[in-house]
Amino acid sequence: MTNLITSSSLRAENVSVWFGERQVLKDVNLVFPANQVTALIGPSGCGKSTFLRTLNRMHELIPGAGLAGAVYLDEQDIYSEAMDAVSVRIKVGMVFQKPNPFPTMSIKENILSGLKLSGRKIKDADQLVETSLRRASIWNEVKDRLSDQAISLSGGQQQRLCIARSLAMDPEVLLMDEPCSALDPGSTRRIEETISELAESMSIVIVTHNMQQAQRVSDQTAFFLAEEGMPGGVVEFGSTEQVFNGPIDQRTNDYVNGHFG
Amino acid sequence: MSEPVQRRKLVAGPLSKGDKWFFRSTSIAAHFAFVLVALVLVFLLVRAWPVLQSQGLGFITGNTWSPDQKPIVLQLGPMLWGSILIAFVGILIATPMAVSMAYLIVFMLPKRLAKAFTTLVDLLAALPSVVIGLWGLLVFTPLAASWAEVLNKYLGWIPIFGVSNAENGFMSSPFIAGWIVAVMIVPIITSVTREIFSQLDKDLINGALALGGSRLSTFRKVILPTSSGGVVGGVLLGLGRAVGETVAIFYVLNLTMDINWAQLLEPHGGAVASWILARFGEASGTEKQGLMAAGLVLFVITLIINYLANFIVNRAQPWRKN
Amino acid sequence: MAKALANQPWRKANVARRLQIFVASLIPLPLVVLITITAHLNPILSFAGLFLPLQLIAASVVGYLAYGRRGVGDAVLVVLTFFFSAFVLILLLSVLSSVVIQGSRAISWQFISQNNVYVSPTTSLDYGGVGHAVVGTLLVVLLTTIAAVPLGLAMAIYLTQSQSKTRNLVRTFTQALSGLPSVVSGLFILSIIEATHIGRSGFTGALALFPLMLPTVARVAEEALKLVPVDLRYAALALGAPNYRAFFQVILPAAKSGLLTALLLGLARVVGETAPLILTMNPSSSTSLNPFNGGMTTLPTYIYNYLASSYETSQARAWGAALVLLILVGFLFGLARVLGKNKSIKSKASK
Repeated sequence: MTNLITSSSLRAENVSVWFGERQVLKDVNLVFPANQVTALIGPSGCGKSTFLRTLNRMHELIPGAGLAGAVYLDEQDIYSEAMDAVSVRIKVGMVFQKPNPFPTMSIKENILSGLKLSGRKIKDADQLVETSLRRASIWNEVKDRLSDQAISLSGGQQQRLCIARSLAMDPEVLLMDEPCSALDPGSTRRIEETISELAESMSIVIVTHNMQQAQRVSDQTAFFLAEEGMPGGVVEFGSTEQVFNGPIDQRTNDYVNGHFG
Repeated sequence: MSEPVQRRKLVAGPLSKGDKWFFRSTSIAAHFAFVLVALVLVFLLVRAWPVLQSQGLGFITGNTWSPDQKPIVLQLGPMLWGSILIAFVGILIATPMAVSMAYLIVFMLPKRLAKAFTTLVDLLAALPSVVIGLWGLLVFTPLAASWAEVLNKYLGWIPIFGVSNAENGFMSSPFIAGWIVAVMIVPIITSVTREIFSQLDKDLINGALALGGSRLSTFRKVILPTSSGGVVGGVLLGLGRAVGETVAIFYVLNLTMDINWAQLLEPHGGAVASWILARFGEASGTEKQGLMAAGLVLFVITLIINYLANFIVNRAQPWRKN
Repeated sequence: MAKALANQPWRKANVARRLQIFVASLIPLPLVVLITITAHLNPILSFAGLFLPLQLIAASVVGYLAYGRRGVGDAVLVVLTFFFSAFVLILLLSVLSSVVIQGSRAISWQFISQNNVYVSPTTSLDYGGVGHAVVGTLLVVLLTTIAAVPLGLAMAIYLTQSQSKTRNLVRTFTQALSGLPSVVSGLFILSIIEATHIGRSGFTGALALFPLMLPTVARVAEEALKLVPVDLRYAALALGAPNYRAFFQVILPAAKSGLLTALLLGLARVVGETAPLILTMNPSSSTSLNPFNGGMTTLPTYIYNYLASSYETSQARAWGAALVLLILVGFLFGLARVLGKNKSIKSKASK
């Protein structure tokens, strides 16, 4: 389907997903090259968020979930028996739709929580906190109140804190599941700027409902669709430029031009 | 291109050592609930077996309890019937009170008062049964006896309110025991009903009112049909508690093996749990086994009632399933 | 709030209607009181046989005059609801007030602190007390708690954190256990005592309370853990946390107050238990600090024993002990309420 394969850091091969007996995704093949931002778009219920969760094994937390195919992180199958979920998730970070800082921890503790939770030693905590917060462009807002409870922040700040929390783990890939859907336009803009900066050091996969956002932040775009009663799948995958301005498939054209969904 | 792909088995592993320990130990702990129920049944059954074997079905149906007789006769009939009778009276009294209370809390009181009332009802649930028994014996019994006298005077022609001899006084009757049980199960039924009521769509109800329905018709046609299942479940939960109530009934009821079918005001009756407590002190040998058998029967009854109750409550509250 | 009220005019109308009917329902009260006193009627008789029908009529008339036919239905429901609910409150207040009034006659520092050696059912209240029973209650309940709380918490963890298929089965059996009649729990431990020939002591009493406390702790703890948003758990796992670290570092702190409530409600469940202790412990009138050997008395068994004799002083002792027990229960209960109030992690986190 594509010949974009270069120095890929994440690659999904024939991924199919079931919840119980119901198949929700069929034969998804996608490549996420290093330092690229990939947007996953499509109408609700097309399986794009589900697919995102297969990329760091969060999918297996849902009871009755099943999977076929493989996901390769640097040519290693993350679902192989040699890999454990913990080490996958350390390398592939995730930011959720709703900001979810740990309510019992301070801002600083939130940043360091990843290291603590994965049982790693913390060297130079202050430096790490500052770097992570800077990379998520929230340092200036919170530098004087690092020991405040994280939930005292505004929604947009909380989300950037969650990004910073993931960055502290120094992930190779960052997955974002509609990170701006609960935020105001100002916060959305700042997070989009952050995404562009982050792409210099990692690959990013972002699920979004917002066509403009996909066009603004992503290098390549995959359009997911689930026909009535059928499992979802990728209809079209290519550079963002091509998917939005010269889609090959009629359904992609309808969707990106707002004709349905 | 699309040959059927092999579905992979998703194992949340390999788990770290800590996680293995975490899941294994909590799993063992959780299955202890199963072990405990089994242990209770097995231990009681082993101890009760000789009596159950020698007495046969008569243990449940007969009405003689004479541990000194040879051969020994231990029959529980009047106590079993008494437990059912008292629980039934208790539910008849408690249900209207509990449903009214729940309705008041959910639909009529302002938020702050509703919270206060909820706390009061929960407080009633927290009262130890020995305290209820103390109050029941020394405060409530004389009072309820006067109610019973009035009932007998005016409604004595109905068999259930008749007494063989009004000179006996009206104390220690299933009527009073039923009231005591009602006091203890009102909070249980109230809290289940309240939960069910509060999950109803309030705007729907207020809408029905705004459309010209009266409160009564709204209650009958909108609220009750959608919540009756849950209320029945709550009543059954109360029934389970009522059947197992021991100390409070022990004080307010005159336990006799002379069966009292349904003469609520007659000053004697039965209750399995209280019978166990009453006989325990002087029981030895075979009689003790008989009491174990009584406990086993009681447990089996409550198991069935509780299973039904939880089944119904869970079905009435689909949102409670995780 | 104000906006909601403006959009839903019936709310205001409802409040007004309810209030009018409620006031109307009180009109016959003075009349009924007058009749009852002058005719020497039984108060209960006049309450149920006279006041209630008059209330219904008065409220219905007002309802009809104000709102037509639907006002009558309203009136009937409002009056019945208030009537029955008032009855519940009267019963509760009766229990509380009798315990407080009667109990306060017996209670004194000496009554709370001294034990019961050399006290007979007729001994004046100036001697002896429930000190030994307070100590006994605390020790027995403490022993039960040590076993039941960790186990109940572990059950709740299993029910909320694992994906095992047997969770529903475990839940069913926990519910079955919560229906275990307390006297049966006593019989169960009694059968163990007789099979193993271990002596009766505070410890065997604690064993008999254990099956009663366990399901309460497990159920309330499960509710508390369920209140923690699943997002937090996912966030922790997505950061590469193993499940146990996600639980102990993120979920446990977030559910702390709810879990304390579980502990307190579990305590309140067993602190007043009587029947199982009578079956599994020997009473003692002296203070014992050793729950593993010899007899022990708790507040409920103390009440039970003194209520058995009909001397006035015995009954006064029973009331006094009931008041002490009630204060203990009320303290636990109040603490659980206060702690239960900051369960709002959920709403705070998802704002």
